[in-house]
Amino acid sequence: MKVNQDQLDKVVHKGIPVSPGIAIGPAYLYAKVTFEVEKRAIDPEIVKTESARFEDAVSKAERDLNKIITVTREKLGENSASIFEAQLLMLRDQAVYPEVVSYIENNCINAGFAVQTVLSKHRRVMESSGNEYLRERANDLLDIQDRIIRHLRRGRILSAVDENSIVFSENITAADIILFSRRGILGCATDFGGPTSHVSIMARALHVPAIVSTHGVTDHVKTGDFVVLDGIKGEIIVNPSDAVLAHYRTKQERYLRLVQEDKSLVPLKAETLDGHRISLQANLELREELPQLIEYGAEGIGLYRTEMSLLLEGRALVTEEEQFSQYQEVVSKTAPWTTTFRILDLGGDKMLPMGHREQNPYLGWRGIRILLDKLELLVPQLRAMLRASAFGKVRILLPMVTSIHEVRRFKEILEQTKQNLTREGVGFATEIPVGVMVEVPSVALAAEQFAKETDFFSIGTNDLTQYVLAVDRGNDLVADLYDELHPAVLQLIKMTTDAAKAAGIPVSLCGELATNLRAVPVLIGLGIDTLSASPIYLPGIKRVIRAMKMSEGRELASKALIASDPREFRAELERWLDEHSCGVSFFLDSTPTE
Amino acid sequence: MIEREVTVTNRAGLHTRPASMIVRTASRFRSEFFIQKDGYEINGKSIIGVMTLAAEQGATLILQLDGEDENEAAEALATLFEDGFGEVK
Repeated sequence: MKVNQDQLDKVVHKGIPVSPGIAIGPAYLYAKVTFEVEKRAIDPEIVKTESARFEDAVSKAERDLNKIITVTREKLGENSASIFEAQLLMLRDQAVYPEVVSYIENNCINAGFAVQTVLSKHRRVMESSGNEYLRERANDLLDIQDRIIRHLRRGRILSAVDENSIVFSENITAADIILFSRRGILGCATDFGGPTSHVSIMARALHVPAIVSTHGVTDHVKTGDFVVLDGIKGEIIVNPSDAVLAHYRTKQERYLRLVQEDKSLVPLKAETLDGHRISLQANLELREELPQLIEYGAEGIGLYRTEMSLLLEGRALVTEEEQFSQYQEVVSKTAPWTTTFRILDLGGDKMLPMGHREQNPYLGWRGIRILLDKLELLVPQLRAMLRASAFGKVRILLPMVTSIHEVRRFKEILEQTKQNLTREGVGFATEIPVGVMVEVPSVALAAEQFAKETDFFSIGTNDLTQYVLAVDRGNDLVADLYDELHPAVLQLIKMTTDAAKAAGIPVSLCGELATNLRAVPVLIGLGIDTLSASPIYLPGIKRVIRAMKMSEGRELASKALIASDPREFRAELERWLDEHSCGVSFFLDSTPTE
Repeated sequence: MIEREVTVTNRAGLHTRPASMIVRTASRFRSEFFIQKDGYEINGKSIIGVMTLAAEQGATLILQLDGEDENEAAEALATLFEDGFGEVK
């Protein structure tokens, strides 16, 4: 297929792909803004009809919320569902429902205006509270206000999205995407969000192709535009030419066929043609995702992000008991495989426990730096993890380590915690490996030293790339410089694997790079022995591993380390995939070239 | 009318889930139900009201019930507080 690259560039919008698949269809722009409601007098004769309209909208909103609660409970758990249960109660709250009805009937005013007036009054009270939690909950009132008003407006503005459309929005909630998927939407793209945000997890769970962090795609798309959303590459093409469209239709077909074929790979080992065994593990955030371990054939959890369930909780602290109950379930269900828990990784782009603001958060107080300062966060978490280790194999992973002193200090605290548990007569496993995230260049550069005092390495390529290239990929002006296959990044990975091999400790890679299929042979060639990714990506990675020889991986890796033209080298990797992996690159290299 | 003093014992305070539990429980009874905190009074059958209390661990509240089933209602509500809403104390 020959398509002019310049033409294509004008209409392609890029973002972070978070749920794979190709969607082709009409766009639906979902405005998550509060509607301006006009004030309209109602004829006193028919004012009862207006309050009946309000009742009808409330019961439709109740129906929505009941659906959302069911799916949220199943996919994200009871705690996430409780927020929607509270919203359900708010609809018929004694301070809301009767007040709206009497406002409508006493003033002979339209229902929408009455809803807005009554709810804004309550919202202002919450927003002016000194309590941070309560201020956040003011958003719940805004949500139900929007929901009721959407239903009141039915007939003029659709309350839900169009069926079989691709939804574009500034930001949507997990609740929205559940309702959308019930309407059979084809895909979804948002201006904001990240791979581990609530909505991304939900999109993967519901198999809806999705792209986040598009930097304002909603400014360029109108409802009814014909669009292609490539959730594999993270690209959106608006009003494509016939040639581009035909290209994506073929790609979509091939992708769907490949997903079918990949299912047969699930029970097979991830082994190269010359017999090198690679372990494929899962990155998980929530216990509700555990069934995916079996569905996609993961050999344990390579990265369990413990901050996620805490952030979903809507409050800063989760007790030891609550953490233990979660970790115990995760460890038991993952057994006989190992669970790798990363201790709380707050800061950077993630919420800080105490609403602290920094000039430069990526170089600031984050990861282990926070935990060593705030033992009241660290110790309950360690106790919960240790107690869970009585139910299956557990490893502990430390985020944002920069110096060996942090590891030593952590180990002292771990030792002390173990002694306390022993004294209390609480059981835990004797062997608990402690590893570090290699995500700051200093750890890769001093990997030999770290390898002597830690039990495993886990390379986080997203942060490593950003730190070594000094690029914030969220910044459009420099995002092009963000390159996870940059020789400098690969050199740091090699230093890490070399040091790990010399010390005899395992080394895994858990960043997005693991899901970039063209990188897989290079990473294996560099000596990575475990790849960890969202489970949905594992069968594709396995397909590549089973098509390669270790010797080929080493050869590609040595070329990658000195590649002077990244574009040319990428093309070489794609050619390699094409020759070896039954056309995997066909859907990987989606952009038609001249 | 009866009054009963209770203390918030669960660590997280009256956040969304406990507030929902209070409102659901109170709605099972016919009695009118108000909660007082620091001289401030809200309708205990309103989730917005209960959340607006922003009661944290250790806060003392007065439950005020008025109606034919006020004793049973007071008992059921006080039990929720004593159990820390099934959460960790």
